[in-house]
Amino acid sequence: MRPLEYVTPHSLAEALERLAGSDPSETVVWGGGTALGPLLRRGLVRPRVLLGLERVAGLQDLSLAEDGLRVGALVRLADLSRSPVVRGSLPLLAEAAGRVGNVRVRNAATLGGHLAHADPAQDLPPVLLALDAQVRLESVRGTRTLPLERFLVGPLQTARADDELLTEVWVPAAAFGRRTAYVRFTPRSSQDYPTVGVAASLRVDADGVCREARVAVGGAAPTALRVPAAEAALVGGRLTRERCRDAAAQVESAVDPWDDTRGSARYKRAMARVWTERVLEDLASEA
Amino acid sequence: MTGAVVELWVNGEPVRAAADGAEFLAEFLRERLGLVGTKLGCGIGVCGLCTVWMDGRLVSSCLVPVAVAAGRQVWTVEGLVALAEGRVHNPPPGLPRPELVRAVHRAFVQCEGLQCGICTAGQVWAVCALLSEEPVPPEGRVREFLAGNLCRCTGYQGILRAVQQASEEWAQRAAP
Repeated sequence: MRPLEYVTPHSLAEALERLAGSDPSETVVWGGGTALGPLLRRGLVRPRVLLGLERVAGLQDLSLAEDGLRVGALVRLADLSRSPVVRGSLPLLAEAAGRVGNVRVRNAATLGGHLAHADPAQDLPPVLLALDAQVRLESVRGTRTLPLERFLVGPLQTARADDELLTEVWVPAAAFGRRTAYVRFTPRSSQDYPTVGVAASLRVDADGVCREARVAVGGAAPTALRVPAAEAALVGGRLTRERCRDAAAQVESAVDPWDDTRGSARYKRAMARVWTERVLEDLASEA
Repeated sequence: MTGAVVELWVNGEPVRAAADGAEFLAEFLRERLGLVGTKLGCGIGVCGLCTVWMDGRLVSSCLVPVAVAAGRQVWTVEGLVALAEGRVHNPPPGLPRPELVRAVHRAFVQCEGLQCGICTAGQVWAVCALLSEEPVPPEGRVREFLAGNLCRCTGYQGILRAVQQASEEWAQRAAP
């Protein structure tokens, strides 16, 4: 076996310098290891250095301000699910984080690691797409902020450059107070990645007219996917069954799934429609 | 590079052992330290056989490289037994209470919460963690919490009965 060293820089500057000066096949960023661990065990990644971020101040912070909620990349999913701040401002995010994998996964996995892994069937990408989330990427060259949909590029592929670190996820306050739901359809085992996951957030005015809509699906395309055509089908009118059905049909035509152990492409396409319709009808019936 | 010395705390004792940095904690505990109560199953964090307590949280030891475990506090089922038997004097905060471990142990025996036993150490850890957090969990919560510990014998009914019994006993003791 090759030697493996665990390095834990004490500051972000030190971590970024370390990252900037290293070969990406030799040094990989270590969050909780729930995604990277299996790849390491199978020799699919063979680094010499794991760059642990647990001692970097600030990456485990959660803060609520006028402009929204900021979650540090090292916040563990278990902590995200239990945080009173998250439960109060974005209950959907807390609830969905509490249903990822199993208790040991949630105890170890970090939000930044979850997003940087970019498996198309993960739970939090569609949820965060439905909440207009942005991610902050930092490197010795500077800092940039990207909408999550531009960060997710393909299966296990993101817009993160080799020298960049995902440091923070920001959900703007405009996403607070919407009607929200997420369903993870897991016909095999509740701790599996979902066959499809559907997240939606809607702003509905006092007359019952939908003013804003976000619909996102996971597991049914090379990345988690927002479906603007479905959103357009919902906005501007009351949330009738017909509108929900039209939106679900838009999802069915937008997705691009493939056959795997969680279902055939055809099945996933149909399930994306079915679960979108159910999620939207549930949200429509909320008072 | 075999032969590097790793230092960590296992069941409250300092341990120095030769290990490959690319080795994982599950194999390290079993093969270098002989603590075979921790089993190795799927190797991807799904099945729960290799559950251990590390720095206050349950984790899958199959996913923790020894290099990452260095310097940390790790507790295995052998340590849980020592705790239940009152042989641990200054347990770190966050470990289950000895009375709870005893109640869970009794309940697993009396309710036949095990068949072949390979999943038992992980199940016991999970139940202790759940009841420490929530002494009287609704059944839905129990099922959801234990979904990450697979019983290959499918002996789930006995496990659920054991959780129920341990919860009743623990809630009575926990009540003032």
